[in-house]
Amino acid sequence: MVTGTLISASLIAIGLVWFLSAHVGGNPGDHIFSGEPKYFENPFGMVRRALDWHAAGEQLSIAMIGIFLLLLNPPVRVLLAGVGYLMEGNRMYALISAVVLVVLAISFFW
Amino acid sequence: MTEPYFDIAVGAASFFAGVLGSLIGLGGGIIITPLLVLCFGIDLRYAMGAALCSVIATSSGAAAAYLRDGISNMKIGLFLCVATTVGAVCGAILATVLDQSLLAIIFGVALLATVFLSLKKKPETRLLPAESDPLALKLDLPGELPEPDGTISPYGVAALVPGFCVMWVAGVLSGLLGIGSGAFKVLAMDQIMRLPFKVTTATSNFMIGVTAAASVGIYLKKGYLDPALVSPVALGVLAGAFVGARLLPVAPVKLLRAVFLTAVSFIALQMIWKGLH
Repeated sequence: MVTGTLISASLIAIGLVWFLSAHVGGNPGDHIFSGEPKYFENPFGMVRRALDWHAAGEQLSIAMIGIFLLLLNPPVRVLLAGVGYLMEGNRMYALISAVVLVVLAISFFW
Repeated sequence: MTEPYFDIAVGAASFFAGVLGSLIGLGGGIIITPLLVLCFGIDLRYAMGAALCSVIATSSGAAAAYLRDGISNMKIGLFLCVATTVGAVCGAILATVLDQSLLAIIFGVALLATVFLSLKKKPETRLLPAESDPLALKLDLPGELPEPDGTISPYGVAALVPGFCVMWVAGVLSGLLGIGSGAFKVLAMDQIMRLPFKVTTATSNFMIGVTAAASVGIYLKKGYLDPALVSPVALGVLAGAFVGARLLPVAPVKLLRAVFLTAVSFIALQMIWKGLH
């Protein structure tokens, strides 16, 4: 859990520093809502974008992968708990963990 | 202000919010969102997205320590997460269709409710496992709390269904406003289900991250997560929470709490005012 948080925080920091170094003197664009580009809407798009060398300069993709890893931390916690209960033979709590995971999956992939 | 200075200022403010939040026991979201909206003029939707990510960051950092110490009750946490995650998805969907002004008003009211709940006295009304709600016994929810002197205290769980319903409301608020709604989760577990306070805070911490993750998927698809904003906020709050936890033994927490809750009440009224105009 702590390692996952540290890895994601490091990726976010790298992406942010890279982004800021390329935008010295630029204006912040956070005031007005425009919605983020399509490739930030799902994890696959983010990874594709970050690995696309033709889109070099899209430093925020690195930060977004860090953010996505951070967001993945709670579902992984639930998954590990579910697996733990399954190995203990506690089917009821393995099922409850599965229900929570399904709700989380609906939120991310619906 | 140029982009680098803007992000440094946002990061510094988030760090400050993380330190304060950790010292007085309030999560990042309830402080960060009004700070970003009122001080930096950021759109409420971006502010909510960034705050929700910071909530997950702090929850992930703290949950590991609580689990290691054996204070969290995972069974209660997972069972109640069914209510909070479903509520969070409902809240997040609602957030995408509600008007920003109405959201600002709801946020202000939720802030005032949080202040009220934080000021409420929390009497220790521990139940014995045998006195638990029959459904809680069936679900094997009563647990044991390791005490500082090395002994183990068993505890029971009361009023499971009302607690489950309040948790659903806490989930809706989390998804709707981009907050952890820890105060509402503590209300359900501490006051309604009569769990020991340590178990309540530790279990609530685990649940806050899972609940926030349920709504953040919807926020992601609606474009509420701006990485240029989320990055300094998440890093600032994470670092702030880390420093705050280390300052806890020496900081004048009571004075800070009084000053801060007064400030939060003022911010709540400002958010309501902003929503009305």
